[in-house]
Amino acid sequence: MPEIKLDGLRKDYGAVSVIENLNLSMEDGEFTVLVGPSGCGKSTTLRMIAGLENVTAGRIEIDGRDVSKLDPKERDLAMVFQDYALYPHMNVAKNMSFALRLARYSKAEINKRVTEVAEILDLSAHLNRKPAELSGGQRQRVAMGRALVRDAGTFLFDEPLSNLDAKLRGQMRAELALMSQRINKNMIYVTHDQVEAMTLGDRIVVMKAGQIMQAGTPEELYRKPANVFVAGFIGSPPMNFLIAELRDEAGTVRLEGSGFSIPIPAERAASLTQHTGRTVTVGIRPSGFTESDAANATEMPVLLSEYVGAQSVLISELGGARVTIEVNSVAPVRSGEVRKFQIEREELHLFDPKTEAAL
Amino acid sequence: MSAPATGKQNPAFYALLCALIIMAIGPVLMMLITSLKLNVDIMSDTSGLLFMPTLRNYETALCDMLWYDPAHVDYCDPTFGRALVNSLIISITSTILTLVIGTMAAYALVRFRFMGRDAVSLTTLMMRMVPPAVLLVPVFGIWTFQFAIDGTRAGIVLIYVAMNLPFVIWILQSFIVQVPIQLEEAARMDGAGPFQVFFLVVLPLIKPGLAAASIFTFRIAWNEFLLANALADRNSRTVPVTIVNSLTEFEIDWGVIMATGMLLAIPPILFTLLASRQIITGMTAGAVKG
Repeated sequence: MPEIKLDGLRKDYGAVSVIENLNLSMEDGEFTVLVGPSGCGKSTTLRMIAGLENVTAGRIEIDGRDVSKLDPKERDLAMVFQDYALYPHMNVAKNMSFALRLARYSKAEINKRVTEVAEILDLSAHLNRKPAELSGGQRQRVAMGRALVRDAGTFLFDEPLSNLDAKLRGQMRAELALMSQRINKNMIYVTHDQVEAMTLGDRIVVMKAGQIMQAGTPEELYRKPANVFVAGFIGSPPMNFLIAELRDEAGTVRLEGSGFSIPIPAERAASLTQHTGRTVTVGIRPSGFTESDAANATEMPVLLSEYVGAQSVLISELGGARVTIEVNSVAPVRSGEVRKFQIEREELHLFDPKTEAAL
Repeated sequence: MSAPATGKQNPAFYALLCALIIMAIGPVLMMLITSLKLNVDIMSDTSGLLFMPTLRNYETALCDMLWYDPAHVDYCDPTFGRALVNSLIISITSTILTLVIGTMAAYALVRFRFMGRDAVSLTTLMMRMVPPAVLLVPVFGIWTFQFAIDGTRAGIVLIYVAMNLPFVIWILQSFIVQVPIQLEEAARMDGAGPFQVFFLVVLPLIKPGLAAASIFTFRIAWNEFLLANALADRNSRTVPVTIVNSLTEFEIDWGVIMATGMLLAIPPILFTLLASRQIITGMTAGAVKG
């Protein structure tokens, strides 16, 4: 199980630079998820690791060996493609054994591995079928099977679930998570879906415009986002951003925004005194609002209530800005009502409005 | 009078259909019937469809290839048997060569980025627009005086390959474009080299295109007369040239000519039946999410 290191990686398409100076190292046996909006360079990064794209500058190291100039087949990788990419003229067994046949494994060995993997993926009954005769989920499993039989050091996934419908995607996600626990290999997974990233990844790398915004465990990214982009990208429904001023009033640091005024807890305030008097961006997660009858609670109108089961998502207004609030569905909320909410002070995230970095 | 939307067709429609069928099949039928007649019957004014069918004309044409000596043949002319062998060798060789070179060229034109790619792609098709008659004199000159390959099968194969290649490249390009690039990438990830990707993944997927192209090339090579007539000598003549040459001032053996014509029609029909089986639509269905 190799360690993969990207060192000053750069990719240009003609005059356009897609990725500039990317540095990242992926530990042994880790499930790394590259996540970001489309066009952020996550797929390009994966394809460079795979060897399907040339590297303009920089190095890709696998276990200390520079592989950036090597052919894909010399890198000990297996890859699952977004569009499955199954060979339509071969049946499932032939599709899965293609790599082994190219590597001239013995017939007995090929048979053993294909049967084994087919059993894991519940494909044993379909080994003689052509891809055209399979459903979307089955095709996806064959694509995974093709990677699994190879027993490669590292597995690459390029948005493998994006073509499945919501229900199947949830199922496959769970299967993938179980599989990754069982085989315990290096996995690099590209997705634009932050839910997939959060549920699957040991470590998430959030990318934007060819740069790494933040890398860390799902919890780190959720609890301590490094900037406005990561804060807004991770978490569903997304975080609310409001403008407020940081004021020091007789020893207590307060956030004064239009329609709200929140005292900052003392332990947090100490690190913020240098910023008092400035305008800051305040990030509040939808779950950071709680209904309350306290005197200092803010009255907020419910413009829209979306019932999604255990939770309801409310669209409301605070000081002229739209905010999303997530509440328990125990007491149903109707659109048009006015409710009183309090903002959890521990759930506040403060960012510099210019650099967008966390304060 | 107009035909109702559902119900009987206008009788004029059937009349037209019959006329078209007669136009299409009539000459072939005429040829078949004539080939089964003796010259006496062919020339007689009275015998129409009433005659004693015989295979004598076929025996005459194929006399040197038969395992017995037909009693009615005084002198066995080996010309036709030789021409049939020539035609088969030339057509099959030129078809195989055209397909091999054509697929590789088409693949390169589709997948590789190089300077002048579009220009090459366009000019290949434009070459096809030049009528063979225009090529006749220069080709004869070059083949005879520079290459000295006139009168050889190789010379004829060469010009057929050159003539058919543009169209084959053009038709195969459109098939190769449809092979999803992810399949080739997947094969590369599975450890295939460039040639393995080409032969194990791309080639099986463009089978319908190969079949269409091979029918086309084989048919042209088999039927071609003009260039073969100019380039072939006695020993390398193809069937169409032989048939025309057997029309002489002194004797026209219609029965044998018609029998030869029927025999000429058989190989392309067989070839087309075999090759068209490969033309199955939806070969790439299920490869990638479409």
